[in-house]
Amino acid sequence: MAEKSVKTKTKKTGKKFIPDIVAFACNWCSYAGADTAGVNRMQYSPNFRVIRTMCSGRVTPGFVLRALKLGADGVLVSGCHFGDCHYIFGNYKAVEQFEKTKKLVKTLGFDERRIRLEWVSAAEGNRWAEVIDEFVAQITELGPSPLNNNHKS
Amino acid sequence: MDAGRHPNIDVLTNSELVKLEGNAGSFRATVRRHPRYVSEDLCTGCGQCYDNCPVIVPNEFEVGMGARKAIYSPFPQAVPNTYIIDRENCLNDDFLVCNNCLKSCDRNAIDFDDTACDLELDIGSVVVATGFDVYDASHLSSYGYRLYQNVLSNMELERILNATGPTRGHIVRPSDKKIPKNIAFIQCVGSRGDGRESGCQYCSRFCCMNAVKDCKLVKLHEPGIEKIMMFYIDLRAAGRGFEEFYQSSLDMPELEMIRGRPSKILEDRETKDLIIVSEDVETGKIRKARAGMVVLSTGAVASESNRKLADVLGIDLDVNNFFEIDTKYGSPLHTCREGIYVCGCAAGVNDISDSVAQGSGAAAEAEKYVAKHRIKEEPRKIEPLDITGPPRVGVFLCHCGINIAGVLGMDELHEYAKTLPDVVHVENNTFLCSDEGQRMIQDRIIEHKLNRVVAAACTPRTHEPIFRESCELIGLNKYLFEMVNVRDQCSWVHTDFPEEATQKAKDLLKMGVARARHLQPLHQSTIPINQSVLVIGGGVAGMCAALELDAQGIKVYLLEKTGHLGGRLNELTKVYPANLSAFELARAIVEKVKTSRIEAMPSTEVNSISGFVGNFDVSTTNGSFKVGTIILAIGSDVYKPNGEFGYGKYANVVTNQELESIMHDSEGKISIKGKEPKTVVFIQCVGSRNPEKNPGCSRFCCPTTIKQAIRLRENGINVVVLHRDMRTVGALAEEQYRHARALGVKFLRYTPERQPKIIGENSKAEKVDILELALNQTLEIDPDYIVLAAGMIPDEESTSKLQNILKVPRAADGFFMQRHAKLGPVETTTEGVFVAGCAAGPKDISDSIAQGAAAASRAVSIISRDTIALDPAVCVVDKSLCRGCGQCVDICDYHAPAIEISSSGIETAKINPALCKGCGTCASWCPTGAIASMHFTDKQINSMMDALLAG
Repeated sequence: MAEKSVKTKTKKTGKKFIPDIVAFACNWCSYAGADTAGVNRMQYSPNFRVIRTMCSGRVTPGFVLRALKLGADGVLVSGCHFGDCHYIFGNYKAVEQFEKTKKLVKTLGFDERRIRLEWVSAAEGNRWAEVIDEFVAQITELGPSPLNNNHKS
Repeated sequence: MDAGRHPNIDVLTNSELVKLEGNAGSFRATVRRHPRYVSEDLCTGCGQCYDNCPVIVPNEFEVGMGARKAIYSPFPQAVPNTYIIDRENCLNDDFLVCNNCLKSCDRNAIDFDDTACDLELDIGSVVVATGFDVYDASHLSSYGYRLYQNVLSNMELERILNATGPTRGHIVRPSDKKIPKNIAFIQCVGSRGDGRESGCQYCSRFCCMNAVKDCKLVKLHEPGIEKIMMFYIDLRAAGRGFEEFYQSSLDMPELEMIRGRPSKILEDRETKDLIIVSEDVETGKIRKARAGMVVLSTGAVASESNRKLADVLGIDLDVNNFFEIDTKYGSPLHTCREGIYVCGCAAGVNDISDSVAQGSGAAAEAEKYVAKHRIKEEPRKIEPLDITGPPRVGVFLCHCGINIAGVLGMDELHEYAKTLPDVVHVENNTFLCSDEGQRMIQDRIIEHKLNRVVAAACTPRTHEPIFRESCELIGLNKYLFEMVNVRDQCSWVHTDFPEEATQKAKDLLKMGVARARHLQPLHQSTIPINQSVLVIGGGVAGMCAALELDAQGIKVYLLEKTGHLGGRLNELTKVYPANLSAFELARAIVEKVKTSRIEAMPSTEVNSISGFVGNFDVSTTNGSFKVGTIILAIGSDVYKPNGEFGYGKYANVVTNQELESIMHDSEGKISIKGKEPKTVVFIQCVGSRNPEKNPGCSRFCCPTTIKQAIRLRENGINVVVLHRDMRTVGALAEEQYRHARALGVKFLRYTPERQPKIIGENSKAEKVDILELALNQTLEIDPDYIVLAAGMIPDEESTSKLQNILKVPRAADGFFMQRHAKLGPVETTTEGVFVAGCAAGPKDISDSIAQGAAAASRAVSIISRDTIALDPAVCVVDKSLCRGCGQCVDICDYHAPAIEISSSGIETAKINPALCKGCGTCASWCPTGAIASMHFTDKQINSMMDALLAG
């Protein structure tokens, strides 16, 4: 998968566009799922940077908007599956926050596909890898964010 | 993982008990540790040996569908994360010595001369939790398991469905690796059999729900699947929330439920499709169904090693080779030998939540003998280092052998780290987590006056505690340590792109250093704990919880709202499965309570409760007191039929519970209200499995009916049971069901669409009309009595009252919500408040006893300490920014924030650190930014983004 996304990248833009993606992962499920991907040596795209929070409910619209403002091409928020949240219903609150974020992102004129909410459990290493690959491919397709100064054409 | 990390738990894997001498409280156990050939102390689980091992063998964890090497870790997330050598397959025992693993291990962890050693342990009690084996379906030749490639067992399907399994979560046929168009599930393979080769007689209990869940998962994984057939006898969705889950699966248009156990499976030689021959018992027709893949729901059988272990322990096995329970206590946890307890599937089949409850319950029993030896934690006295002044960051880069250094440019990373702001020292090390690596960090902290430490290594989820401890021991606040994950989430997953991986590691390091610069020292505070417990409800669960606590020397207040203890047990005559006299059982338990130090308070109700874990102030109608924890054992109500089946209109229509009190044995004859009846009809699921009334299954009513039916039938009375599915789950229930049929009790099925009709005159029901499904004819029965199996509903009055007092939420079924349906069956979402027995959903006596013990054990885990240490990484309100809007109060599921009114009348929020779990959701919700989620503050998180994107 990783190879594929790297290829698409070079093919798509001609000039090499490496997206800057910030991924918020909750400590108990998604961050652990990313570790599981590592333990199983799953190979996936390196074009994202993880910020660990205790719960996906912690991710305010402010964090996502700050990342976009600073030029991130995409922002991923990932938490536990429904019913699995370490804090009972934190992920339901993440959904609510994310809906708000989406509205704000649209209002500001961003493509709403630049942000994504996903659920990855601690056991789902391959799902984490798939989510990252898919998202990286999607952002590569969308091209650089209008605020990404490194890639202004 | 938690058990592996617990300071008071020594996990001895690869070991077996070979001798047990002495008595309860002073056993001497001999444990044989089999050689692993890899040192647990030295192995870091890096996997280099695995990469170099040339031997490939089938992987047991993947049920033979995947491969492993001769040196391997049994499964991902194994504890301990140490490799093991399978000497049977290892080449070192061959003529040509391979030694590849030995050569590849940087830590010299491999030792081919490792031998077994015996450990002598002085112990107080023993808990047997050895689980079960899966029935080998190849014993059933008619189903062709192992003969036809596309016939799988449910365990194999579980691995196939698993995202990390052999097919990466794709459902493909073993014969042609194609996704099957249709799949058939066959239930009761190896269960509900004849006790010989077709498997055990009992019901394996979990396979129905497992199959229902798998049907949903199959569709989720492969949306292209057109049809899923399930062949079953009775669909036993008997557990809290199970019936609701099952009903929701029936909405799947692909799912066809076929009642009837197939007689055989044939294979189409060309397509490798399977042809399932069965009689549809609802129509009486023989049908042949074609499926691309068949999944056999194989049941549970006793572990083969049980015999050997039972001999060592000096306890018995039952007819099914499970560990025998001493039924005289009514508890599922006691063996015949004092001090030895059993839980989970070691003593019969249980599902996950019951196994968890029994595990905690067995712990409570076992603790009785060791409570006096409780380990007291000594506070460590360490002089804190001076950390004032600007940040001085030390960066430590771990090579993890070649795990990190083999991919990332370590020198490049080293040079880069030096350029980061406030970094005053950078150092590389082969294995930072080794003792030598940790000592090096401690030395550098002193040498370079470091006040922030960043380690770029593996994952904080496993190794942060080690680094934090080293910092703490030298006097550096552990919250000033930051870990950067450059192995699990970098070098391991971008192996083929070293350049990009190094760039990513640089960025992660930059973010980690930025965050470290903003870290603040946090200090743990402690609050005292009151060492007494309030148990609300004097039924069997409450009494058993109180007795367990009392046995450990804990002060217990046992509240009962009625005038006498015993609860529902007082209304019963016999208790299944051992046919104990309910009166005797109740008397024995009440007697124990009376002779104990338990403060039993009959005719007492709670007025109010305030406070939080460790410090609850309780006010009752009989005085006030303080407790540390609370157990809710308020039981439930029995559903009162509202005119169904002529209840209330005809005098001879009664419920199971009413029958208990009007049925009397005398001189070998049974009479109901003094008269000997000829025919009794039971109608199941009255008020249960009904979306308008109670959507759930009450679970205990089927075995109760069987118990009563047998008593009547043994006295020559005709008994007819009208049911939807006979859900005889639990110890001996299926055997009793079989016994009832052998005695001549008749079982007829009805559907919710065509319910039995009752025809009566005056105040007597004369006839029952029932559509016999296979004959498609209406049958008429003339009963003397009609018994309605009324389910359980929450005790509305008490449940809603305590919900308001304690803020313990209720689930959709009206019972108290458990913290986790599977893993937290006796915990509520309120810290320090536990739930046991029917207050958390319908249960029978033995499950209630197990839960009582479990709740006691969970309560002890809190109050066994004098103080509770509060995690400082929680949320804190800045009062100057708070406007008291109360959004945090609404959002928190733990009720940690509350609105306070100051003396000047200003409303602000305050977060109770004893209740806060530190998830930070309120901080993200707070409209004024008044709440800081400590250790994950806005500043700390923003600094990472700023460093990455703007730096």
